[in-house]
Amino acid sequence: MTDAAKKQILVVDDAALVRTYYRAALEARGFKVEEALNGLEGLEKILLQSFDLAIVDVNMPQMDGITFVRTVRAMELPVSSTPILMISTEAGPQDIAAARQAGANYYLVKPIKQDTLAEFAAIFCGAH
Amino acid sequence: MDEFLEQFLLESRDLIAQAIDDLLALEEKPSDTERLDGAFRAFHTLKGAAGIVDFAAMARTLHAAEDILATIRSSGGAIAPGLLNECLTCLDLTSRWLDAMQTSGVAPATAEAEADDMISRLVGSRDADERDQAPQPQGDDWLQRLDASALARFDGPRVALRYIPSPDAFFQGHDPMALIAGLPHVLGVDVALTDPAVSLDSMAPFSCGLDIVVWMAASAVDVRAALTGAVGLTEIRELAAPGVTQAESDTSKAALLLESQLLVLQDAGSDGLSGRLASAGRTAVHALIHLGRDEAAIVVDQATAKALVERRTSPLVEAIERALTRAGPASVRDDAPARVHVPRALRVDMSRIDALVKLTGELIVLKNAIGHAAKLSQENTQPAVLAASLRDQHAQFDRLATELQTAVLRIRVLPLRSVFRRFPRLVREIAGSVGKTVRLVTEGDDTEADAMIVEALFEPLLHILRNAIDHGIESPERRAAAGKPAMGTVVLRARRESDSVVIDVEDDGAGVDLARVRAVAAQRRIAGADALAAMTDAEAAHLIFAAGFSTATTVTDLSGRGVGLDSVKAAVERLGGRIALETRPGIGTSIALMLPFSLMMTPVMTVEVAGQAFGLPLDSVLETAIVKRNLVVPIGSGHAVVLRDRTVPLIDLTQALGLPHHPPASDQARIVLMSIGPKVAGLEVDRLGERMDVMLKPMDGLLAGVSGVAGTTLLGDGRVLIVLNAEELFD
Repeated sequence: MTDAAKKQILVVDDAALVRTYYRAALEARGFKVEEALNGLEGLEKILLQSFDLAIVDVNMPQMDGITFVRTVRAMELPVSSTPILMISTEAGPQDIAAARQAGANYYLVKPIKQDTLAEFAAIFCGAH
Repeated sequence: MDEFLEQFLLESRDLIAQAIDDLLALEEKPSDTERLDGAFRAFHTLKGAAGIVDFAAMARTLHAAEDILATIRSSGGAIAPGLLNECLTCLDLTSRWLDAMQTSGVAPATAEAEADDMISRLVGSRDADERDQAPQPQGDDWLQRLDASALARFDGPRVALRYIPSPDAFFQGHDPMALIAGLPHVLGVDVALTDPAVSLDSMAPFSCGLDIVVWMAASAVDVRAALTGAVGLTEIRELAAPGVTQAESDTSKAALLLESQLLVLQDAGSDGLSGRLASAGRTAVHALIHLGRDEAAIVVDQATAKALVERRTSPLVEAIERALTRAGPASVRDDAPARVHVPRALRVDMSRIDALVKLTGELIVLKNAIGHAAKLSQENTQPAVLAASLRDQHAQFDRLATELQTAVLRIRVLPLRSVFRRFPRLVREIAGSVGKTVRLVTEGDDTEADAMIVEALFEPLLHILRNAIDHGIESPERRAAAGKPAMGTVVLRARRESDSVVIDVEDDGAGVDLARVRAVAAQRRIAGADALAAMTDAEAAHLIFAAGFSTATTVTDLSGRGVGLDSVKAAVERLGGRIALETRPGIGTSIALMLPFSLMMTPVMTVEVAGQAFGLPLDSVLETAIVKRNLVVPIGSGHAVVLRDRTVPLIDLTQALGLPHHPPASDQARIVLMSIGPKVAGLEVDRLGERMDVMLKPMDGLLAGVSGVAGTTLLGDGRVLIVLNAEELFD
C-alpha cells in the first residue's frame, strides 16, 4: 500500500491563508507539506528536495506559476518529472491552455474544497 | 441460470407489463397524472435494475425515456401520441433484449447499436414535440461558452442551459436573474447580449436583451422543474448521462487526471520534453494505481521509460489511450455473485519480504547444523550426545517452521481499507436513491486480513450496507418523530480478535421488526409455526439470513430484489466465517462478520464411503482406479490390491473411521491410490466425486485430537465435508 505519510507535497502560493488551507487539507490525509511564497522560492525548495507533487498558484509576485512550471520542465533534471497541479482563479480556456503548454499536469479553478484538493493529491501520489 | 439474472428478468418483465398498462391507459386519457406517475416509476425502476446487472445499453435507453416522462410530469402537460408510441417501442425493444438474455444469459451484442437508435428516436420525437410548443434557438455554438475546467471538477450529472428571456419578460412580471438564482447546483453563469452590437445609447432599457448560459451539477429533470414559469427560449443539454456515469463517479477524478495527461503530452514541444513526459507518465501511473489498475500502471510505466529513451510522446500517448479505453469502473461489476477469487497480483510491504529472507538465512544455518549431526552419527559418537544434538536441532527447526508459516501468511495480508474506502460514496448514492441521508463512519481501516478475504468482502458488505440503509435507517420524517437526528449513521468497523477478524456494521435505525420477521417467516414457510413459537427474539432476528427471506414492502432501486442477506451468510461461510446479529428496537441493528485471519485453499477430491462424503487432499492422491474385486486379496489381517503387478495395501475406511461396515455392493472396487511419504497405499471407496478447492478449517475444541482428520469445510449446499489426513490414516 502506498503510504501518504511518505509523500511530500510542495505548495507554492503567495497567500498565507491559502497555504494554510491547503496544508490543513493535505496533512489531514497524512501528506507532508512544504510551503513556498512564490515561484522563485518554489524553485529553491524543489531543487533541494524531491517532491511527489507540486501545487502551484498562477498569480504570484516575483515569479508567477506559469514561469515556475516552464522552468522546472526546461531544466531537464530529475526534478523536471515532478507532477504539477496548477490552481488559479482564472477559468478561461486560454488560462488553462497556458498552464498546459507550460507543462502542468492538471488545472483546478478556485475555490477548491479541501476534500477535492486532498483527493486529487492522493490520486497524483497513487495513494489510497 | 444465475439467480441474480433470473430475478432481474422476472422483475423487469413485471415492470414492462406495468409500464405498458399505464401507457395504454394514458393513450385513452392523456392527462391522467396517476398513470403518468405509474409509467414514470416503472421506467425508473427498470433503469435501476438494468444498472444493477450492468446492462448499460438498457439503462441508457430507459433513462432517455424516463427523462421524457419526467419532463411531461413536471410540466403538468399531457403526453403527445408520438412520444407515447416511442415509449412503447422502447419497452418492446427492452422485452426483446430480455428474451435474448433469458436464452443466452448475456446481453445481446446488438444492444448498443439498437440503444443508440432508440435514444435518437426518443429524443427526436421529444424535440419535435417541443418544437410544436415553442421555437428553439438553433445550433450548439453556445456550448462553447461553458467552462470545461469548472465542469471537470464535479462528478455526476451535469447539464447546460441556454436561456433567452423574451424581450418583454420584465413586463410579464418575470425576473430572469431570480430564476437563475433558483436553479439547482449552479456551477457557473455566462451572460451575454442577444445583440452584441447594441450600444449604451441605443439600448432599450425595458427590453430584456439577455442571452444566458448556465451550467449546473444537476439532472435535466431538476433543471426543467426549476424553469417553470420562464418566459422565452430555453434549451437544455445534458453533458453526461447520469445513468451511465453513476458508477464512474467514484473514480472520475482519477480518470480525468489520466485523460488530461494526453493534453499535456499534446502540447509537448522539444522544450522540457523529458520533464513533461516523465511527469505525465508518473501522474498517469499514480492515477491508475489509485484506480486499482496495477497492471495498466505497469504498462504505462514501461511506456514512459520507452518514450523517455526515444524522446517522443507516442509510446506514452498510446499506452494512456489503451488504459483509458479499458477504464471501466470496477464497483458495479463487483456485484456479480460472490465467488472466492484470488487477486492476480499482490503488493507486498518490503519488510515482510525481508522477514522471509532472514528466516531463509536461519534455515540454511540449521541445515548446516543437521549436516554436522549426520557427520557425528557416522563417527560413532555417543548416542546420548547425538540425541541431544538432534533434539536441539529439531526444536530449532520447529520454531523456524512456525515462523516461516507466519511470515508467509503475513505476505498475503491486506488492510481492510482497500475494500472499505469504496463504500462512503456508494452509501451516499444508495441513501440518496431511497430519499434518506446516511453518514458512513469507517473505523479500523488499518486492520489487516488475508487478501483473499478482503477481496471477497466487498459484495457481502455492500449487501449488508444496502439493507441497513433500506430497511434499518428510517425515513427522515420517522427519525424526526422518534427524536433522532435526520441523518442516519452507519458504522463500518474492523477489528482483530485473536485469530479472527471481526467486521461490524452498525446502524442507528429502527432495529429489526421482529413481529414482522416472524409473520413473514411463517408466511413464506421458512420455519414452522411450532418452531417459530419456540424461538427467542434473537433467534427470530437471525431468520433474516434465511434463504428466500425479504421483508421489503416496496421494491426500491437497489435492494428488495430477493438477493438478500442469505447470500451474505453463504459468502461469509464460504470464507470460513460466521455471522451474528444484534438488534434493539428503535436503537439500531448491529451485524458482525467473524472471519478467519488467514485463508488457505486446499485442493481436495471428494469420495463417498458408507453413504458419507469425505475429502482427500489432492496432493497425496496419485491416481484412481476401478478394479475387479478378485484382484483384492486378503493379506494377514487386512487386504491388498494388485495393480499393474504391484501389491498395494488397501485400507478399509469404514474400519479406520469406525463407520458401519457393509458388504461390497458390486464386483468392482473403486480405489484411490495415495502416496504417503515414500509409501503407496490404496483406499477403497464407494464412489469417486469431484475435485474442488476448499477452505480447510482445522478441528478445534474437543475434536482437535481426532486422528485421521485434517479438518472440515463447508460445501456450497451447506453440508460439512470432513477432509481426511492421509498420513494419519495409514499409521
